[in-house]
Amino acid sequence: MNRLMTRMRNARLDTHALSAALTRTKLVILGRELDKGLLFKLFLYVLLIDVAFIYLSPIMKMVSTMIKNAGDLSDPSVIWIPHEIYLGTLQNAWEKLDYIKSFLVSTGVSGIVALLQTVSCAVAGYAFARLQVPFKNFWFFCLLVTFIVPPQVTILPNIIAANQMGTMQTWVPIILPAVFGHGLKGALFVIIYRQFFMSQPKELEESAKIDGASVFKTFFKVMFPLAKSAMVVVFLFSFVWTWNDSYLPSMYLYNSDLQPLSRGLSIIATELAAQAEITGPTPYQDSIKMATAFLMILPLLILYVFTQRWFVEGIERTGLVE
Amino acid sequence: MIGKLIGKRKLKINTWRKLEGALFLSPWIFGFFAFMVFPIGFSLYMSFNQVRIVPDGLDIQYRGVTYYKQILFENGSILYNNLIPFLQEALIMIPIIVIFALLVAIMLNYNFSGRWLFRTIFFLPVIFSTGAIIQEFYDQGEGTLGFLEQYNLADYVSMVLPSSWSGPIIRIMNSFVLILWYSGVQILLFLAGRQTISATVYEAARIDGASPWESFWKITLPGMIPFIFLNLIYTVVDLFTFPRNPIMQKVTTSDYGKSSALVWIYFVIILLFLGLVMLVFRRVNKTYQQTR
Repeated sequence: MNRLMTRMRNARLDTHALSAALTRTKLVILGRELDKGLLFKLFLYVLLIDVAFIYLSPIMKMVSTMIKNAGDLSDPSVIWIPHEIYLGTLQNAWEKLDYIKSFLVSTGVSGIVALLQTVSCAVAGYAFARLQVPFKNFWFFCLLVTFIVPPQVTILPNIIAANQMGTMQTWVPIILPAVFGHGLKGALFVIIYRQFFMSQPKELEESAKIDGASVFKTFFKVMFPLAKSAMVVVFLFSFVWTWNDSYLPSMYLYNSDLQPLSRGLSIIATELAAQAEITGPTPYQDSIKMATAFLMILPLLILYVFTQRWFVEGIERTGLVE
Repeated sequence: MIGKLIGKRKLKINTWRKLEGALFLSPWIFGFFAFMVFPIGFSLYMSFNQVRIVPDGLDIQYRGVTYYKQILFENGSILYNNLIPFLQEALIMIPIIVIFALLVAIMLNYNFSGRWLFRTIFFLPVIFSTGAIIQEFYDQGEGTLGFLEQYNLADYVSMVLPSSWSGPIIRIMNSFVLILWYSGVQILLFLAGRQTISATVYEAARIDGASPWESFWKITLPGMIPFIFLNLIYTVVDLFTFPRNPIMQKVTTSDYGKSSALVWIYFVIILLFLGLVMLVFRRVNKTYQQTR
């Protein structure tokens, strides 16, 4: 009898333990709130992986087309994975691009423009954020206007001016605006700096002023070094956008020897078209273009892998969005 | 006497400060005149003239509003044939880009393992944001979604809608992936904006018994409204100034006057479109605030 009682008690304890375990699993799966449980996470992963696949498929297609040989290119059963890896196309594109030279041109120019914009936009952004400037609101309005004026409005007069000054077919017309805090998306960078400096405490400058530092000293010794996160963001974006820009080089440098990588695609496209007229189209037509595109973005991809966290963390820290 | 002296001194300090400020901004102001005001003014001037580059300078002949008349009323192939489909596409693309970016940003804001990997993937468009490569994908037909073709949606769309609208919609469906590729910077901005809403607000809402669904509509969305606006403007400017867009490609050095007139008409259209977006946004925002 006694034994029976204990057994019954044990059984009851068991069900109790079972139900406790059930609630725990329920908690794990569904979560204390909807957005903390496993089920939600699973849903999130499925959704994100799907979208990421859609996102990446053009790039994967690019790489797979690039390494197909002639047989695989014409074989409709080969979609993603070719029978063998054929690097001839890549080599061909490398030679056609004159890769080392155009890589150096792109790196040099993007680096110079990015450096200039990092400094000149900071000076303007600081003035907008903290200094007393006559008609400041008016100038700020002008800044917003420069943001929405398409480059095509100013390009033709700039070409004429470059013609008059004899700077056509050189990089001068592209680099010069960056000296003054303009150039490609310059307005955006000034705004980023303005927002950053506005979010900084005023005490720093005041103490510098009490110590008798001039505005220039305050800026270059105190405030500018403080703006590291904004500097990284501006430098990276400026570098990437200048690197990618093919419009301005195509207008100013159509005949120059110093072609940047970003022009590669259009140059190769015209070359291929010219060739096709003489010898007929090659099966490698598309794969050469893909190889070119791949070579164009490869340096940026490598840069991006190393600086990826700066792109988002930097933007958060600059206070651009406050 | 002393008060007067102090006042004078203060005045002096104030002018000095203003001078310093002006000095700081002067490079930018100089650049503004050299690279903005002058070219804009000159291009407006050129749009009324026939301009030719001759060895000893410029040969300019006054043409009045001939070019404007030609583009606007006489020859539809210069502007309208490209503009109207483009505007239709833009009208559909802009909401898609902004909503997609908002959803992705909200998803990427959750805390889960492997988040950095997804962030890396979704920010990729930021570094490819140029025309050249996206255009290449577009030309090769890389942007299609498989399932759209499977269900023959294109046929269905062209059956239901008039042909003036089905064309742009089918083109958008065929390059849907690439439209999503336009949204890199927008995702960045949304993600940064999402982080301005503090976690304690959600905590409080949860304690009060709000479901995640409710807190999305009552907290997240209202908090994101300024960023939705920012992204709308950014997307419009980005789409319209994209070098590969059909009208921009007609701006060439072959005819300075005509190209300038075209650019000016286009610029006015951009401004009108921006105004329209702002108006619609304000309207929507107002009704939204009222229903809340």
